[in-house]
Amino acid sequence: MAAFSVARCLFKYSSQLSNVDKKSHILHKCARRMLCSASSGGSSDGRKPQFSDEEVQNILTNITGLDLQKIFRPIKQELKPPTYKLMTDQQLEEATQRAAEVAKKQLKMPPVLPERKPINDVLAEDKVLEGVETSKYVFTDITYNIPHRERFIVVREPDGKLRKASWVERDRILQIYFPKEGRRLTPPPVFKEENMKVVFLQDRHEDILDLCLVQFEPDSSEYIKVHQLTYEDIDKQGKYDLLRSTRHFAGMVWHLVNVKRIDGLLIDMIQRDLIQDAASLVHLYHMLYPQCPSAIEAKEQQASGIELLKIFAKKESQKTGYIELALEAYQETTLESSA
Amino acid sequence: MAAPIAGVFRGLLLRGSPVFLRGLRDVQATASCWPLARVWSVPAWRSLSSEAGESQPAKSGKSSSAAEADPFDSIARYRERPWEYLESEEYVERYGTQLVWAGYRRNHKGGIPPQKTRKTCIRGDKVCGNPCPICRDPKIIVHHQNVKLLEQFISPHSGSVYDATRTGVCMKQQKNLTKAIETAKDHGLLPFHVPFVDFEGEDYSNTHSAVTHTPPPPFLTAKAEGGENSSSGGQPWYSWYHPTQPDPQELCRVTKLYRKYLKQEVPTSAGQ
Repeated sequence: MAAFSVARCLFKYSSQLSNVDKKSHILHKCARRMLCSASSGGSSDGRKPQFSDEEVQNILTNITGLDLQKIFRPIKQELKPPTYKLMTDQQLEEATQRAAEVAKKQLKMPPVLPERKPINDVLAEDKVLEGVETSKYVFTDITYNIPHRERFIVVREPDGKLRKASWVERDRILQIYFPKEGRRLTPPPVFKEENMKVVFLQDRHEDILDLCLVQFEPDSSEYIKVHQLTYEDIDKQGKYDLLRSTRHFAGMVWHLVNVKRIDGLLIDMIQRDLIQDAASLVHLYHMLYPQCPSAIEAKEQQASGIELLKIFAKKESQKTGYIELALEAYQETTLESSA
Repeated sequence: MAAPIAGVFRGLLLRGSPVFLRGLRDVQATASCWPLARVWSVPAWRSLSSEAGESQPAKSGKSSSAAEADPFDSIARYRERPWEYLESEEYVERYGTQLVWAGYRRNHKGGIPPQKTRKTCIRGDKVCGNPCPICRDPKIIVHHQNVKLLEQFISPHSGSVYDATRTGVCMKQQKNLTKAIETAKDHGLLPFHVPFVDFEGEDYSNTHSAVTHTPPPPFLTAKAEGGENSSSGGQPWYSWYHPTQPDPQELCRVTKLYRKYLKQEVPTSAGQ
């Protein structure tokens, strides 16, 4: 009897235990998932780091640099007579710090988004209205305090179909009713291939990227296409320094890491003695591709700095010889300068 | 007719004048197919739509034959590629390193010049006295690909276009200049300042129903009745969307009332 009761208790407890086990297992899973989603995505299992993750953003801001001379270079504008201020050293430092903060605001990266999905939504098919009108009618909600992405814009076609406006139509209509400074109704001819090539020959990649930011939405196909063309051209010609200390550098680095072509950029960084930047770039690469051989070996050896670069050059890069040459040259110069 | 124009030119042009005069006389000889006004006016640029800055093959047969007939540095040669003139020896001898409009002085009464320059220097085949810096040299052609010329009329410090009272060009050429500068900026040949775009506080999630699929309202999907419906099943928006048949009694009454005025039944033709 006692044994039976004990067995019954045990059975109860075991069932409870099994329940508890299951529950704890589920709890663990949920907790892990929550932790993963809450974390910066660096060491999550299965979830690829995104552009907007904190860790990624930190690395990219460090790599972009902060050259105040380049950011605040004189631009062509309406001239005013110059003002002169007499400052002490401390005031000068404070002014430089304020300038650095303003520069950081100016270096805010534009978002990198996947291409937007097309809108194909028919609200009504009214055969009664077929043939009544000869043109389409666009109905826009022009209430002032709604974000543009929540604004309803619908098109009534001559065959009576009432559908939501496509993205291109939305952009055009919003520019008519809520014009943005510098944006044109039809995109200017700069964004055609031939004209873009001319602009690239003149080394004005930054200008065309600024124009693209003004003209297109960040998730539109033209925006992505223009950016990719520009980044490809810079990578082909090795003119990475054109975008350094601008807001577009981070986007370029992200694109190159996604396409797995960071060799040219690495060589450029090593030649300019930016070893820390090169190391953080390789670290970012390993974050995105943790399964690649150089990432595994780096994790084993806990390498950093030049060691990390050497591992990457050996295992993963296509231009191994160039990177090793550049590293040797850098090491020689450091030895000479230290000696 | 030729003599006064030739006289004007002898006064203005120091070098190449016999070439010009010869070209002019040839032009006048063939006035029927190539009127004199064409020499001065800016021709249509149909052949130069998308190529930029590089040497282009002469597309029209007329220009190639004209190039063979006329001497090397005639006006017709620069019609197709106007930017070549600014690198030629003739230009350098005439202007040196100065701007095209440097040294030009308007003729006017009194100390203060009128706020607008003259409307145009060339009317038909007549040229005024003291034409403006662009009109006095027929080889200078205002074109959006002629970047070196356009840059001479833009301030290097503030990036704005100089006023006509400063450069001395006539109103017509000023208009051409502003249009060409705008086109050059559109094509990316001239740099300009782009305003800063702030992306903070913008939501790009695209989850609102305005830009995604909106499910139809419940009353439409509730009753799946047959017949023609305006949406995906259910009741139509309005009861009269259905093709309805008229009440037979009512139809009879109305037919009786208006029997005299009813049209005769004609078989309905196709295509309404």
